[in-house]
Amino acid sequence: MTDADVIVTKDIIKTYEDGGVPVQAVRGIDFTLTKGEFTAIIGPSGSGKTTFLNVITGLDTPSSGEVWLSGKLLTSMSGNELSDFRRDHIGFIFQAYNLFPVLTVEENVEYVMLLQGTPKEERHEKVMDILGKVGLADYAGRLPSRLSGGQQQRVAVARAMVSKPSLVIADEPTANLDSKTSGALLDMMRSLNEETGMTFLFSTHDEIVMKRAKKLVVIRDGKLDGSGSIEG
Amino acid sequence: MFGRLVKFAWRSVWKNRRRTIITGLAVGLGLASMMFTEALMSGMSTHMISQTTMSWMGDGQIHREGFRETGRITLTVNRPDSILAMLEADTSVTAFTTRIISPASLQSTMEMKPVTMIGVDPATDPGLSMLEAAVDTGSYFSGDSTDLIIGWKLAQDLDATLGDVIIITAAEADSGLASSLFFVTGICRFGSDVQDRYSAFVDIGLAGSMLGLEGEFHEVALRLTDIEMGRDPALPIWSRYSVFGNSAEGWAELASQVGSMLNMVNMSMMITAIILFGLVVFGIVNSLFMSVYERMYEFGVMKAVGTRPSALATMVVLEAFWLGVVSILIGTVLGILIIWITSKTGLDFGMIEVSGVIFDSAIHPITDWSRLWIYPVATLLLTTLAGIYPGIHAGRLNAAAAMRKSL
Repeated sequence: MTDADVIVTKDIIKTYEDGGVPVQAVRGIDFTLTKGEFTAIIGPSGSGKTTFLNVITGLDTPSSGEVWLSGKLLTSMSGNELSDFRRDHIGFIFQAYNLFPVLTVEENVEYVMLLQGTPKEERHEKVMDILGKVGLADYAGRLPSRLSGGQQQRVAVARAMVSKPSLVIADEPTANLDSKTSGALLDMMRSLNEETGMTFLFSTHDEIVMKRAKKLVVIRDGKLDGSGSIEG
Repeated sequence: MFGRLVKFAWRSVWKNRRRTIITGLAVGLGLASMMFTEALMSGMSTHMISQTTMSWMGDGQIHREGFRETGRITLTVNRPDSILAMLEADTSVTAFTTRIISPASLQSTMEMKPVTMIGVDPATDPGLSMLEAAVDTGSYFSGDSTDLIIGWKLAQDLDATLGDVIIITAAEADSGLASSLFFVTGICRFGSDVQDRYSAFVDIGLAGSMLGLEGEFHEVALRLTDIEMGRDPALPIWSRYSVFGNSAEGWAELASQVGSMLNMVNMSMMITAIILFGLVVFGIVNSLFMSVYERMYEFGVMKAVGTRPSALATMVVLEAFWLGVVSILIGTVLGILIIWITSKTGLDFGMIEVSGVIFDSAIHPITDWSRLWIYPVATLLLTTLAGIYPGIHAGRLNAAAAMRKSL
């Protein structure tokens, strides 16, 4: 493991009980993600992408194996340590319903910094800066319900990136968007990746995401089924 | 962060406006009914005490020791002149009247009935009893010593009416029998069998001479500056008159059944409160669990982005707090409104007798405004505490499971 490694997993296995029957969703994955990558995990439904993402972000615990994130062994952390670690090191973008509906755009974006105890002035400054980058500076006071799906996802991107985490996890970020909006969102994320050097890891079925990813990782039947870098 | 959680919780409570209003109404109605029940019970208690003391008993009485237990007519108040002089000089006694009480039989032309003959002082009794007001046929004592007032039920039993001759026979103090002839001049209606069927009221002067007890009496009924003085047997007034072999007692001791009734009222209030507060707790817990399950995904996202379980639990408890605030606002306004209206109109139960106390007029709920805060504060405290269990549940949610639809 080197300083450039953001995620390292060693022989991750995750077994679920489904109606009393054990189901092995992840079957021994060794995986490394290095700093600045813009990588998409692809694979058919039920291949284990979601379970793998849950495990490497500490949202779920592996049945066996190790997960190292930014040099820390995730699998040995307590509940509060995991919460704090996610807060400080991981930005999340989910496929839908990302935002807290009762908070305004600005409040949604600053939420993680609020958890971190960032002073109000600094929060406001950073929020307005990132909202400017995603083109939503004029929408700071709006509730998510008054934004389009694409705008909501841009707010989610802003929230995921505002505290400059070492890793941004985006799970099917374009699942509920049309192709034009999806393309624009991915272009924006890629330029932010290039601008900030932040690491992005996607889970997707979407060709638009695959085309813009710098590297693709294939998961099939709970195992890595190859990976490769893409020029462009 | 806590301030933001407070704001977050407040907005979350209003996310499902209809459910919040329905829950607030349900809890508020419980609170309003508690406030109203206490006011009603307080009104009933006041009415009971008032009826007990105003109708006949007074706020307290003085007897010779042993008289109340035996009813022996020889047990008249000792040193009556000294007692009366003390009462005249006592600033805490606003009025008093003397009575002679003796078992007697009443004989009309048709029937004979055993009763208690009560010699009352027509000049002072109206300040202590409702006898004058209870006379609904005929008139109160006119000054003629042969005047007799009987209850309407006794009049029926004797088949007697106004102007009829009644012969009263009673034992004299020196063991002889005395009989006197009276004319029914008034028929009264108290609402209680004690007075309406088993009592006959005559002038104290004639009762005294008939029984050989001139200048003596068995009972002094007192009206005090504060009715509550009759509740506390430890007050000096009662020991002051418990002298010369006499015994002075307040209404709480004299009418112990009223005290028992009041205890029962308090007990039933407590049981009602426990049931209603139990319902409040279940209502809030149910509402919060519905909210938690509805917002499972939102809680999952909150946990995913780094919200600690304790912060999540705190937010749910804060939501319970805000639900409580909404509920107590609704309940307090509703409760005050109901109490205010019913205290003006009164609640008429008809003429009923409970433990010898007559409810012959409408009961007016009474609110002790200094206690008004107790139920709302208790409701708020309970609703907030009720949020702990759903809060812990939310805090323990597995983020991945909560968001399974997405991830």
